[in-house]
Amino acid sequence: MSENGQNGTSTIEIEGRTLAFEAGETVLEVAQRNGIEIPTLCHDPRLDPAGACRTCLVEIDGWRRLAPACATKANAGMKIASENARIDRHRRSLLALYMTDHPSDRETSERGAPDQLLDMVEQYDAPSDWGWLETLRSDRPDDANPYIHFNPDTCIVCARCTRYCDEVEGVSAITLAGRGSQTTISTVDRLGLLDTTCEMCGGCIDVCPTGAMGEKTPLMRGDKPERELTKVRSTCNFCGVGCQLDLNVDPDGNDGKGRVVKVTSPPTGTTTNDGNLCVKGRFAYDFINHEERLTTPLIRNAAGEFEAASWDEALRVAAQGLMGVRDRHGADALAFVSSSRCTMEENYLVQKLSRAVFRTNNVHQCAAT
Amino acid sequence: MTNSIGEIRDADFLFVIGSNTSEAHPIIAMEMKRAVRDGATMVVADPRAIWMTTIADKHLQIAPGSDVWLLNAMAHVIIEEGLVDETFIAEQTENFDAVRESVAKYTPEEAEKITGVPADDIRWTARKYATTKKAGIYYTLGITEHSHGTDNVYALANLVLMTGHLGKPSAGMNPLRGQNNVQGANDAGASPIFYPGYQRVDDPAAQAKYEAAWGVELSPEPGMNLNEMMKVVGKQLFGLFVMGEDIVLSEPNCMELEKALNKNEFLVLQDAFLNETARFANVVFPAGVFAEKEGVFTNSERRVQRVRKAVEPPGLARADWEILVDLANACGADWTYASAAEVYDELARHAPNFVGISHERIDTQVVDGPTGLQWPCPTPDHPGTKFLHEAGVLRGKGLFQPVEYRPSMELPDEDYGLLLSTGRTLYHYNCATQTRREPGLATKQPEAFVEIHPRDAKKRGVRDGDLVELSTRRGSVHARAIVSRQVRPGCIWTPLHFAEARANVLTNDAGDPVTGTAEYKVCAAEVKVVEATTDGATRFPGSYYGVGGPGPDGAQPVDAGARAE
Ligand code: SF4
Ligand code: SF4
Ligand code: FES
Repeated sequence: MSENGQNGTSTIEIEGRTLAFEAGETVLEVAQRNGIEIPTLCHDPRLDPAGACRTCLVEIDGWRRLAPACATKANAGMKIASENARIDRHRRSLLALYMTDHPSDRETSERGAPDQLLDMVEQYDAPSDWGWLETLRSDRPDDANPYIHFNPDTCIVCARCTRYCDEVEGVSAITLAGRGSQTTISTVDRLGLLDTTCEMCGGCIDVCPTGAMGEKTPLMRGDKPERELTKVRSTCNFCGVGCQLDLNVDPDGNDGKGRVVKVTSPPTGTTTNDGNLCVKGRFAYDFINHEERLTTPLIRNAAGEFEAASWDEALRVAAQGLMGVRDRHGADALAFVSSSRCTMEENYLVQKLSRAVFRTNNVHQCAAT
Repeated sequence: MTNSIGEIRDADFLFVIGSNTSEAHPIIAMEMKRAVRDGATMVVADPRAIWMTTIADKHLQIAPGSDVWLLNAMAHVIIEEGLVDETFIAEQTENFDAVRESVAKYTPEEAEKITGVPADDIRWTARKYATTKKAGIYYTLGITEHSHGTDNVYALANLVLMTGHLGKPSAGMNPLRGQNNVQGANDAGASPIFYPGYQRVDDPAAQAKYEAAWGVELSPEPGMNLNEMMKVVGKQLFGLFVMGEDIVLSEPNCMELEKALNKNEFLVLQDAFLNETARFANVVFPAGVFAEKEGVFTNSERRVQRVRKAVEPPGLARADWEILVDLANACGADWTYASAAEVYDELARHAPNFVGISHERIDTQVVDGPTGLQWPCPTPDHPGTKFLHEAGVLRGKGLFQPVEYRPSMELPDEDYGLLLSTGRTLYHYNCATQTRREPGLATKQPEAFVEIHPRDAKKRGVRDGDLVELSTRRGSVHARAIVSRQVRPGCIWTPLHFAEARANVLTNDAGDPVTGTAEYKVCAAEVKVVEATTDGATRFPGSYYGVGGPGPDGAQPVDAGARAE
């Protein structure tokens, strides 16, 4: 790689700092690596640069126009400004334009996910009095898919969602449709997502910077918006990839026991799953609050029916039952089946129970592959 | 896995065999898609035209159960064309000559007859694999869920060893594990032959170590593996403790198991839901789900990662580890663990590969950046191990194991003319006790189905969408027919997930002689159209409706009559 980049020794200058870069790196990547802040909306490290939103504009010596940092390759000797009056003026006008058809109060725009456009408007103090237009972007109101909701009002047509669907998930279920101010996110023939190649990975929700692609269920349930939830980092309980995920918890939910409102992926680049999740890891959590969850120990009574019992009683009956089998038939007449769904600690305890308490090696996990 | 998931994207050649990656491991599939987008070559060997074949350079549509033929023929080509890594073989391996001899007769031309894969494709794949530096093999249950699963794995390992594709980034041999903590459960000693960290129960030194640690005498007799256990329930086994699993639903040939369970004397079940196995339970403990407890899972790249408690369990339910402590104490033990972290520490204390990892270290040292730590991790300042076998093959030299093709235990015949395989789909997860409770996922794939090739469908008068009876020597279920060229002629495929049409009523419980893993992938079956009734696809013969009414699994009987309209 480094051959083309003159052995990696080439440098550019950003805000007066001389910075080395590797061939192929963009100005944005060099800046981010060195802690220089450049705002972005349509950029995602997993995707090819699109240069669509223009919030990352920088000034390069000798270039007539401002250039999008995310889509401009670093070139030896470039001198770059990331903050100056010209950039600021441009950026504020741009944000003001975005705001002409974007709700400015967080209550409307942030029903689901945080809206980074509003953050940026605040941060750069962009004017929000340039008039108000009703958005011309259409939605697909009869899309019956269970998970993904598209709100055209807050979409800024940055195409992160469609590019993700195309480049990362590889299924191209959603696409930009229409032209000019009518450009919107749609599907082939405006089909519901269930009838497309969509795999319900929810990546489009995750990458959307404004929350226009949102998670349906929390919206319909009227759950608290993401900003008010507590994130608990954990490991997915479905497959062996072990994706890291954030359980978004409403601590007041379920009478103070806490409720998992939704699951989001950690930022790209920080974990093995690189910000990605699959349909199960992102959405399949109704089981946590399911009404059929067992809430009490059960003992089968003389009539063959289950009866609710206290822990003390259930533990006593279970212990007697297992010890009884051991006394009648020997320890090797017992077997302990543990679970690859449970933690390492729990598997450790099951084998210790089997070996140290009952003295048999008849212990195995289900799905022993 | 010998490599890390993050290395997949840098691979130049991916050989994916027996793995429906985009459905079973979508996140790994994303990494593979990325590699392909960046120019990597991908070959997919699978009996079905799975999604991954749409982006693969080649699809080897192999006859189910003939993997050894394909792999040995690839080895044949690599040896014949002098593409082996002589230095690696000489320095790091043993027994190569035995393999050289044994694969001599596995010519690509002969292989074509049995596998159905053109000889030229076998040669092309073998050459490409041998001559690409960053060449990785990825496989899952499609390889191991056979009565000759171990042979398949040896045959793959032979390819890896003879080309020296080991101990390097993006090369190596990568089993993609099905469930989240299969690796961790094995590591923790949930195995009839190993204490934690793969220390054998029949090794006197290991036995002495654990006797000292636990303060009790221990049995040096290896126990039964799951497949063996399930065969002797009610004969040699009379008491079962089952944690977090639905053995009735997951076991091959579950009708036999149900009969046997009626002769079992005592069964304790610990789970978050009443599952099918509950019908045979004497006591049921309500357990917390992963969001309700602390602990670690170990993923398929040996990365130990944290599970953290986010919410309280409902009602009286408690975390599995807490229940286990109480159960042990009710049985006379004196366990005093105050936290899952303490349990982990005890585990690690006697298992050198894990000593360097602790809850505290994961929590404090690796917050951002790839989380968790990969074992082996022998000291608290060890960075963890990215790929195994870096400094020479683990435990001395890599051993070549010649393998011979053995046909699957049960192949199509006059009465059962089709070859049935089972598998997973993206939208459901194993027994689906969790995902079937998700209304969204149920919408996408509401009922059991069986894929059948147009030619076989025509012969049997089956049209797309017909309700069919799918039967084997062991039982039959109802399912919706999907006429599809995804499957090879002569083969049918059905998913595992549906409680109403348990595919395991059908499958063969003949196990692999080494691992005991059952043959889920291949058995003989037949399909015939049945009248759509309101019972429809939700019914199967068996005690599911017999004992305790329409099961607890929450699945509302699907109105098949209405659906057929
Ligand atoms: S959920 Fe995934 S597959 Fe479906 S539209 Fe969004 S990105 Fe594409
Ligand atoms: S929905 Fe979101 S990600 Fe997609 S174009 Fe609109 S703003 Fe961008
Ligand atoms: S982030 Fe550069 S143009 Fe959008």
